Amino acid sequence: MEPLTVALPKGRMQDDVLALFAEAGYPGESDNGRKLIFEDAGGRLRFVLAKPSDVPTYVEYGAADLGVVGQDVVREGGQDLYEPLHLGLGRCRLALAGPAAWRGRDLRLVPYLRVATTFPRLTLDYFQERGLSAEVIYLSGSVELAPAVGLADLLVDLVQSGRTLRENGLVELETIMASEAILVVNRAAQKLRFRQIQEVIERLAAALEQRKAAA
Amino acid sequence: MSDALRRQRPHGLNDLFFEQAAIETALENRLLETFYLWGYGRIILPTFGYYESLSAGASPQLQRQMYRFFDREGNVLALRTDMTVPTARLVATRLYDQPLPLRFCYAGSVFRHEQPQAGQRHEFTQAGVEMIGAATPQADAEVVALAVAALQTLGIGEFQINLGQVAYLRAILEEIGLENGGQYELEQAIGRKNDVEVAATCEALGVGGEAARLIQALPHLYGGPEVLARAHELTADPAARAAVAYLEEVYALLAAQGVAEHLILDLGEVRSMAYYTGIAFRGYVHGLGLHVCSGGRYDDLIGRFGPSLPAVGFALGIERAMLATDARADISPDLLLSCESATDGYALAARGRALGLRVELDVLGRQGAALAQYGRARGARRIATCGQDGRCALRTGDAERALTLAELEEEMTRWSR
Repeated sequence: MEPLTVALPKGRMQDDVLALFAEAGYPGESDNGRKLIFEDAGGRLRFVLAKPSDVPTYVEYGAADLGVVGQDVVREGGQDLYEPLHLGLGRCRLALAGPAAWRGRDLRLVPYLRVATTFPRLTLDYFQERGLSAEVIYLSGSVELAPAVGLADLLVDLVQSGRTLRENGLVELETIMASEAILVVNRAAQKLRFRQIQEVIERLAAALEQRKAAA
Repeated sequence: MSDALRRQRPHGLNDLFFEQAAIETALENRLLETFYLWGYGRIILPTFGYYESLSAGASPQLQRQMYRFFDREGNVLALRTDMTVPTARLVATRLYDQPLPLRFCYAGSVFRHEQPQAGQRHEFTQAGVEMIGAATPQADAEVVALAVAALQTLGIGEFQINLGQVAYLRAILEEIGLENGGQYELEQAIGRKNDVEVAATCEALGVGGEAARLIQALPHLYGGPEVLARAHELTADPAARAAVAYLEEVYALLAAQGVAEHLILDLGEVRSMAYYTGIAFRGYVHGLGLHVCSGGRYDDLIGRFGPSLPAVGFALGIERAMLATDARADISPDLLLSCESATDGYALAARGRALGLRVELDVLGRQGAALAQYGRARGARRIATCGQDGRCALRTGDAERALTLAELEEEMTRWSR
């Protein structure tokens, strides 16, 4: 049977994700990230290493049947995918943060607000749903800089330990969403290759159970 | 401002030309021919209408996708997003008392402002059918079988139809008794098959025990006819069980037509809930990340415009189907003709066309190498040049031979398309 194509996030999470697939019975070796396409030892999965924010795109178009990516990235991109499994990796939260002086301030009473973020869609949704007005300033990284240099009042970014924020003299004000790595599935592939995909999901779920039992 | 836009077209629109345009037309015609053979008659409907009318029965998501504009009286108009809603309006206002069932088919453009993702176009062509006035498993089975026939007629061999039953899901969600907002959130989570999110939403909404277990089981109601028994056992709700029994009948009728091999029962799919009231199905093709056709039963829609009538139908996206077929279209001329005598040229061309040949007449006075070069670029099967004296040269591939006008005319009768 033709292997399923799985898009994995290159970089920070890559090794953890590959370790999980190995525990599920799909050991694969990227040769230290030099190879971007490689199969697992059993030839049942073909892994593709992609930039994390591109993973949902590969899956939505069906170029990959499955993918692993942060839930935050999928919500930001708004792609229409199945999300059958949470993988317990890369736990973090999307948070509104800013200088300490903003703690306790009621944002409803601030007439004009500028917020820097790499997540413009989720940020805009968050403010709109609350009836607040904010000018969302899109940056492609290092959003912590924005308040320090007067580019924005606040920022919305992923927070894992909170260290980066502290080091830049910032505090977390509100959690917008909790996130972790999830398995995503192309909608048509889920229908057409149901058994094959179900097997991957079940094996991954079993590996996660074992991890939980070991912990 | 207008200068910058003059050479552009809005995002999500496409120009089709050369072979692609011919393929699209051919596929559209093949589909309509198939629909005619099954007794469906063509309807041609306006491209736009009042927003109030065209948005009836549409999900909030679809309503947001509508292109809207104003007429001179200030009424809001919209481009159609599908053919089903305008068909429902037509039937409820003008044809409700005609002999039933009414069987209609269509092909035409629909317009949706989609997120610019996954190759979704803002204008695309739908071909499909609606059967109005029959609320029977026989009607449902006919429409599903016709969807199978439509995919086959396009030359798509390997495909799969996922058949579900919205009435089953609705009965279960109704039994749980959620308010609309909560139900929407839960449907979203079920739609993503995100078990963690489903569990969290259930908890947040205070849905526990048996009901939560049932909801978690929904995504797994997938497979062959054995799924029907499982769906039946999962719930004691009479409406849900009746919905399964109905689906069982439809399945049996489809098996009797020999199309069961293409079917997968898929009862956990909530996506189509806004519109449909009974069976709902989608067709998938290997190698394509999106469904190529979708349909189902919509018994509540026509009643929004007038007398209520049950209906079932499906639509197929022609551009998507084109990605799934290796259909080719021949747009090359059978004969490229250049005559020094206009009279000879017109007579020969008319003769060829009467024989059903595609004859392209030179209008630039080209001969020799220039004509051959153009002919090659057009893929012309034959190139003929005729002089004032009636002596002709016929080039087929690299071979060229001399013949008279009469011989050329005689020769043409032996060519066939």
